[in-house]
Amino acid sequence: MSQPERLFFIADFNIETLARYVANSALVGCETAVAPSGPVMPSLAAGPPGEGRAEWSAVVWTRPEAVIETFRRALAFEAIKEHDALEEVRVYAAAIAQFASRARYVLLPTWVVPPFERGWGMLDYRPGVGITHLLARMNLALADALRDHPTVFQLDAGRWLSAAGPRGWSQKLWYATKSPFAQAVIEQVAADIVAAVNGIAGRARRVVVVDLDDVLWGGLVGEVGWTALNLGGHDHVGEAFADFQRGLKALTARGVQLAIVSKNDEATALEAIDRHPEMQLRRGDFAAWRINWEDKAQNVVALLEELNLGAESAVFIDDSAIERARVRDAVPGILVPDWPDDPTRFREALSSLRCFDSPFLTAEDRGRTTMLAAERARRSGLAAAANLEDWLQTLDIKLHVEPLSGVNLDRATQLFNKTNQMTIATRRLTKPELEAWAAALGHSLLTFRVADRFGDSGLTGIVGLRFDGPDGTVAHLVDFLWSCRVAGRNVEDAMLNVAVTHCRAHGASTLRVEVTPTARNKPCVDFFQRSGLRPVGDHVFEWDTSQPYRCPPWVTVTGETARPSTSSGRAGLAH
Amino acid sequence: MDHEQALRLVYETIDVVNQQLPASKRLPKSPSTVIAGPGGALDSLGVVTFVITLEDKVGEAVGASVQLLERDVLGEGSPLTTVAALTEFVAAAGQS
Repeated sequence: MSQPERLFFIADFNIETLARYVANSALVGCETAVAPSGPVMPSLAAGPPGEGRAEWSAVVWTRPEAVIETFRRALAFEAIKEHDALEEVRVYAAAIAQFASRARYVLLPTWVVPPFERGWGMLDYRPGVGITHLLARMNLALADALRDHPTVFQLDAGRWLSAAGPRGWSQKLWYATKSPFAQAVIEQVAADIVAAVNGIAGRARRVVVVDLDDVLWGGLVGEVGWTALNLGGHDHVGEAFADFQRGLKALTARGVQLAIVSKNDEATALEAIDRHPEMQLRRGDFAAWRINWEDKAQNVVALLEELNLGAESAVFIDDSAIERARVRDAVPGILVPDWPDDPTRFREALSSLRCFDSPFLTAEDRGRTTMLAAERARRSGLAAAANLEDWLQTLDIKLHVEPLSGVNLDRATQLFNKTNQMTIATRRLTKPELEAWAAALGHSLLTFRVADRFGDSGLTGIVGLRFDGPDGTVAHLVDFLWSCRVAGRNVEDAMLNVAVTHCRAHGASTLRVEVTPTARNKPCVDFFQRSGLRPVGDHVFEWDTSQPYRCPPWVTVTGETARPSTSSGRAGLAH
Repeated sequence: MDHEQALRLVYETIDVVNQQLPASKRLPKSPSTVIAGPGGALDSLGVVTFVITLEDKVGEAVGASVQLLERDVLGEGSPLTTVAALTEFVAAAGQS
């Protein structure tokens, strides 16, 4: 289960206002603590509150002139050496890294100066002279110094000030409260903190469901026909629709899927998507669609079922306030942003959404569009096959087993933290926590890659085992999760087969499974209830590992853990 | 500035400050609500944030800078004691 959020605020200014806003409005229920304001180095050295390791996350926000003495002198127009400033940045980065080793994660706003600070004016971006140039180099140096610390995330404070406008920074507030940030900035910061918390917890949205008429294009395609739609060309509104489509397409490169729910005639709408020369999105860019005259909320639910995604993973975009209200009410958990009436603001509205933030970008994210095309090919094959098993036999499914390693750690952590349905425990661990768990004595963590003749689905399964009992004779299935991307191919049966083989090879005579039911993981609960494992309690099952667990004949298992290991009762991270 | 507009700005400021308070300590939007001084729910940071936020709103409404913080906001006779008193003060300040 996810841990309660605990945020520790460290700043060299009065950050109490932000902490209060986060605790009472942005992340209600979040426990907050604030370090004494003033020099941050002692607070960083002291570490986060609490005795337990990595229970707290932190926001560490400093003013550049307060932590980098050379920059303070540069602000006073003294002659300085850039090298000295960058050396101070490296010292500060080392303190952050040391602190981060004791925190769950650290959010680090970039350094900014007040918007009214003009520095050297026309010389301010000149290397060796300008204050803005020096500040940019310092921010980059900090990012470079922390690049290998996966739990430290720099947040762009400059964007908060830009979004808040000229009233965002108040000198009066600074003099009166020792915090210069007005409410408009506080709201921006808090929104980015929430986005980061959600992303780290695996709650990033994964599909955008869009309407068609007056959303992807101007006009009603059923009324005017695809040739008369307002899209692209020399019309500024048509150009705005095309640009919005480009924005959606760009999201797919971040691993976000696209889908359509529209009240239209399907053939007419698809003809527009296929044939209009200014369409930036084509049929292949959409994971699924429901184009008909049925209730949109019901269509959204059916579409998400088809995609094996929960409503908490979806965003719904529609130009009709009535449809938005209907879907918002009928599909709890879905994000339905208020949407501007003016199409020239669509791209801005899309790019402003903070719900896609993720702490990782993996090869699987980059390749999701290709994987979706492969999935559609599979489905069309299923429709043509006489029965399900015949179809599965044709897929040539390969399951490759690997221990956790530096190569697959990013993707494994991502899958671990965003899987809600096909998982027995719904544990949430940061990258270092997952790495440490896998490396602990008596633990095994296996990852599974799935491929078939239509393509490579990537790392889509994880098994975590803990060996204990006399001489490690009982193996506990701590984690067992697989991606909805490979659902319906009995990959989970093959994973369980591998887990049993692995347990036997490591000297465990019993595999014990305790499933923790949640509101979301019914598919996983159902799997174990029909798995054939012996029920020994409420959602508790066991298997005698002297008996192999059945592996579907259409799945070929490869990889090093397919063969018995010689080590007994212990496993760890392979480097 | 008329009384109604002044009251609206005070209530908008309460909305802002309430976002920093736990639900149990939020200021009700009522003329009798105590903002500062004995019986008030705001600490010194909350009071200063309240005043500067209100200054900003009033200044924006009347198109001129309005100074509230220069007063002894926690002292006797402060216009900040209740919403009603503050509204009168803001309405007058907005006319001057």
